[in-house]
Amino acid sequence: MTSTGAPAPSVSRRATPPLASERPAAWPKRTVVTLDNGLQVVLAESRAFPRISVQLFFRSGNAVVAKSAPGLAEMTATVVRTGTVSRSSRQIEEDLRRLGASLGASSGADSSAISASGLTEFSSGILELIADLARHASFPADEFERERRQRFEELKIERTTPSFLANERLRRVLFGEHPYAIVAPTEEQVIAFRREQLVDFYREHYAPAGSLLLVVGDFAAQSMLDQVEVVFGNWSAPKPTPPVSPAPPHHSGRRVYLVHRPGTVQTQILLGNLSITRRDPDWYRLALANSIYGGAFHSRLVINIREQKGYTYSPGSGVNPLRQQGYFTVRAAVRNDMVAATLTEIFYEIDRMRSLPVSFEELDSARHYLTGVFSLGVATQSGLLGQLSTVYLDELPSDYLETYREKIHALTADDVLAAARRHFDSANSPVVLVGDRAQIAEQAALFGPVELLDASGTVLG
Amino acid sequence: MNPNPPKLHIPVEHTTLSNGLRVVASPDRSAPFVTVGVYYQIGFRLEPRGRSGFAHLFEHMMFQGSENAGKMEHIRLVNSSGGLLNGTTNYDITNYFESVPSNALERVLWLEADRMRALKVDDENLRNQRDVVKEEVRVNVFNQPYGGFAWLDLPPIAFRNWPNAHNFYGDFADLDAATLADVQQFFRTYYAPNNAVLLMLGDLDPTEAFSLARRYFEDIPAQPLPPRADVSEPPQTEEHRGEVPEKLGPLPAIAIGYTMPPRETPDWYAAAILDRVLHGGRAGRVYRKLVLEEQIAVDAEGGVDLIDTNGPTQMVTRIFHKPEFTSEGAVAVFDEVIEELQHRGVPPDELDAVKVKFRSDYYSMLEGGMGSYMPRFGLMHYLACFTLFDGDPNRINTILDEFLRVTPERIRDGAKKHLVPRNRAVLFRRPVAVPAGGAR
Repeated sequence: MTSTGAPAPSVSRRATPPLASERPAAWPKRTVVTLDNGLQVVLAESRAFPRISVQLFFRSGNAVVAKSAPGLAEMTATVVRTGTVSRSSRQIEEDLRRLGASLGASSGADSSAISASGLTEFSSGILELIADLARHASFPADEFERERRQRFEELKIERTTPSFLANERLRRVLFGEHPYAIVAPTEEQVIAFRREQLVDFYREHYAPAGSLLLVVGDFAAQSMLDQVEVVFGNWSAPKPTPPVSPAPPHHSGRRVYLVHRPGTVQTQILLGNLSITRRDPDWYRLALANSIYGGAFHSRLVINIREQKGYTYSPGSGVNPLRQQGYFTVRAAVRNDMVAATLTEIFYEIDRMRSLPVSFEELDSARHYLTGVFSLGVATQSGLLGQLSTVYLDELPSDYLETYREKIHALTADDVLAAARRHFDSANSPVVLVGDRAQIAEQAALFGPVELLDASGTVLG
Repeated sequence: MNPNPPKLHIPVEHTTLSNGLRVVASPDRSAPFVTVGVYYQIGFRLEPRGRSGFAHLFEHMMFQGSENAGKMEHIRLVNSSGGLLNGTTNYDITNYFESVPSNALERVLWLEADRMRALKVDDENLRNQRDVVKEEVRVNVFNQPYGGFAWLDLPPIAFRNWPNAHNFYGDFADLDAATLADVQQFFRTYYAPNNAVLLMLGDLDPTEAFSLARRYFEDIPAQPLPPRADVSEPPQTEEHRGEVPEKLGPLPAIAIGYTMPPRETPDWYAAAILDRVLHGGRAGRVYRKLVLEEQIAVDAEGGVDLIDTNGPTQMVTRIFHKPEFTSEGAVAVFDEVIEELQHRGVPPDELDAVKVKFRSDYYSMLEGGMGSYMPRFGLMHYLACFTLFDGDPNRINTILDEFLRVTPERIRDGAKKHLVPRNRAVLFRRPVAVPAGGAR
């Protein structure tokens, strides 16, 4: 037990206490080094707990193979962890446990990554294991066959998941011939994967030049850099060539895509429009506009369709900054008889953002929200790792973290209005509805021509 | 193996206010943020009979307005201070928490005290949140493949006493029957300072933080607490089995739950390690056998919430298997894993590795525990449970040793005693849906 201070003075219970003076987040110092083999290494200390978190990024993901073999990058990453020249699948998993480590290997649209976190006392073992997977994966035939079958079954589950189906359809519609149009392979495409394709992808793209190694955790930077150089310094491979992609289509007019699922008790709404990347000068303005529109609990969309109308549980909006082209989305899972009413409110709130400047109170509140939550990322290893990957993977200015706060606080209501006009497009947004056509087709038709599809993407009559 | 791993010591200070509110502080000045939580010792296990889902519906009402902070004000004030907030309903606790820049500590304490003192809600708020909760149930359960598997559908098969065995999200008829009078009654009964703990973590000075806690909380009157409800289960004499149709997902799924020994007994510590021998990712024995070796399942994982429950609890394994195998066959292979453990125990090198991973996971949980943006959520959560259930927040610094001391003999004996059919429930979730793409 602890004895505590003087007796409490009487206080007003009614008035909200003002904020005390602020102590801004100090971003940890980074050590940034490019090794002779072209691998960029970024280290940051985060010493509250005796753990480290490591992430090795290659700048090639599923977009590179979207035309030839959709999902091949993801399949490759999955099989990478199942064997190396010197370790069996079982050995890898047991080694991880001995190091107190968890490991993940996966691919998004733009990159592939091998990640691990574990105890600091075993940091060299963790780095060695990641390097072994990155350099000497052996793609055992039986492991490949097993993982391919698992992926096949997982896909069947994903295509019964409303949020997955909505995202798959919206990306297809928004991006057209651009590789970002495809978020997952078909079952037939998974069956068609060959082990040699995985090996080829690995040989071409898992290389040090142009890749990024992030290490965050309980270490002194210099000694960690020494370890990294020992483990990764003698790795050499040809540098992959960056892909070139066609431009996504221009959207004119609003269309509705109804993914029919008979008997469902709720409709998943997802709509959006093409937008910008983090490298665009408008990024800060758009982030702030999104936060006021639907990016926070205390945002206009959430107050409207959840707290006032009760149509939905977790509505929201977001900006998805893929490397070549971002996109803005609005989502809500609503009860079937409120689909039209919800869409009306979604578009009303977009149009309001485009028509009138936000109040100073909303502006100021959103600026504090955005900078506060951004800086919360400094306080955990995974948060810090996420922020660092944003900066270095997207090749943002090296002071991005340190200057984010002042850039957001400099924005005005006019900036928000300009961003909403430029980047929120209610008139030309494709609208995806995943639900039962018998219950929602009439409501859907109020918002534009309706294309009816099933869960596999086949157009229905 | 490192015989003397570095010891982590978390600073913990605690006190009790004159109204019975327990207050715990854990300073860490490395980043300018605080995480604050109020945990009430009431969860869905103890909600009123005939009012299934009420504890969770009530949790939503706590965001609808209090005496001096009306609807949306709690959310607005936390968001506009640069922070995040949420609440969750669990078996034995309901929590409300915020992560904010440390200059908002006093503001957040004022908000939490205001809603502990007096809830100010009306019928419209209740109707609104009832609608929101129904959409929450639809999005997480009815319109989701394997929704509620197995946290909602295993307890009714496993348990016989209503507090442990009912629908925790709530039947819609029960949600519809809830009245504003029920809300205020529930608030008076359970949301008393002497039934709660306040936690403050991060960039703060404990003496100042305690002083602020006094200022805002100490004059909230204590309430007589109802006697603790009897949540014990009648002795189980045979295996329980049940089936639930899977309306959306294509694969058969199985959940196997073993009821765990009582809190903080030697067998309870052994059960936590046993769980990590069986589960614990791809090196776990269940995944290795069913997914990697026999290739019956496409996924097999599991776990148990031991620290944050205070009543009958199960270790649950969830298996999704390929359609060409039978569920009964999959259970038979799972049983081989258990029998092997009972007969041969765990070799020392495997046990050592499991403990290294256990220690690493414990630290990881304390650091984060709820994504990247609620720093020290896990630390707060465990401190709350140790305070409310065991009366000692300093367990945070000693309990790890108890887990790491578990011997191979205890593991084998624990497996023989607790991992037996008459101590388990098996749930079969069998698909009824037409295959994806075939729906017309």
